[in-house]
Amino acid sequence: MTNNLDDELHRALRAVDPGEEFTLRVTERIAQQPMHSRYSVPPAYRWLSVAVLTGIVLAALIAHDQRLRHEQQGLEARRQLIEALRVTGEKLDLAYRVVNDDAHPASGENSGA
Amino acid sequence: MTEADTCTTEDSLSRALAGESAAFTALVRKHQCLVYSLGLRMLSDRHKAEDLAQDVFLQLHRSLASIESAAHLSFWLRKVTINRAIDRLRREPRYEALLLQEGVYLGSDASDDDPLLQRRLRDLVGRLPPAPRAVVLLRYQEDLDPTEIARSLSMPINTVKSHLKRSLAILRPAAARPAQLRNLTLPLARNGQ
Repeated sequence: MTNNLDDELHRALRAVDPGEEFTLRVTERIAQQPMHSRYSVPPAYRWLSVAVLTGIVLAALIAHDQRLRHEQQGLEARRQLIEALRVTGEKLDLAYRVVNDDAHPASGENSGA
Repeated sequence: MTEADTCTTEDSLSRALAGESAAFTALVRKHQCLVYSLGLRMLSDRHKAEDLAQDVFLQLHRSLASIESAAHLSFWLRKVTINRAIDRLRREPRYEALLLQEGVYLGSDASDDDPLLQRRLRDLVGRLPPAPRAVVLLRYQEDLDPTEIARSLSMPINTVKSHLKRSLAILRPAAARPAQLRNLTLPLARNGQ
């Protein structure tokens, strides 16, 4: 009985060929699809391209950050140089005044006498 | 599938991946029986089956790069066809169990190939709930064993065996003598599950 039912089911559920027209309709529908979506990129390449893009973006961000830091270091050096020049100028001015005062000490005394 | 068939499919697969449309057409031609028949038996409608089969092949065309071998291709086609068919059935209105006509014997007494009985069996299989129907189709149309069916449907093997056993218990009276046919109902078909 079971074997009989098995056999009958095998016979009843035999595969059916939809025919050559079906094949043509499928190929027509595929031909109507836009070219770019026909063959998708293999997953490995997709991950590789994502990794490369991420790498490029990271490298650009790091380069930008380094450039900003370099600029800030330059500005800081400039500020320090200006400060050093200012201090040097003040010292030279002081020294000039001291030397100048030492060179004419008598003028004040003479004029006072 | 014979070794030669496998080689041919592998060859068509690699050529289709390289963009050769004739190779993809060969793949369609080779597997259209499988896909269309599963769709037909699942949906019990030629137009819906053809529509489903076309959608499956279009999806295959888009996913060709993910197919690893000829065996994987058959596995993929079965899985996608059954899943799509079950999705469609879930969207359709539910149906009620039918009472078979009392005392009508659907087969002839002694015949190896009984068209009436086969038609009735197909009809009954088409009235099984989607999951057991898929199990019966993969078992008797595709000749898969329970382990392969479980893998194809992502279902525990015990569930597959249970679906098979219960479905056969429902189908068995259809191939039986008139005395066994009285008041036969199809309780599984009531909830669409």
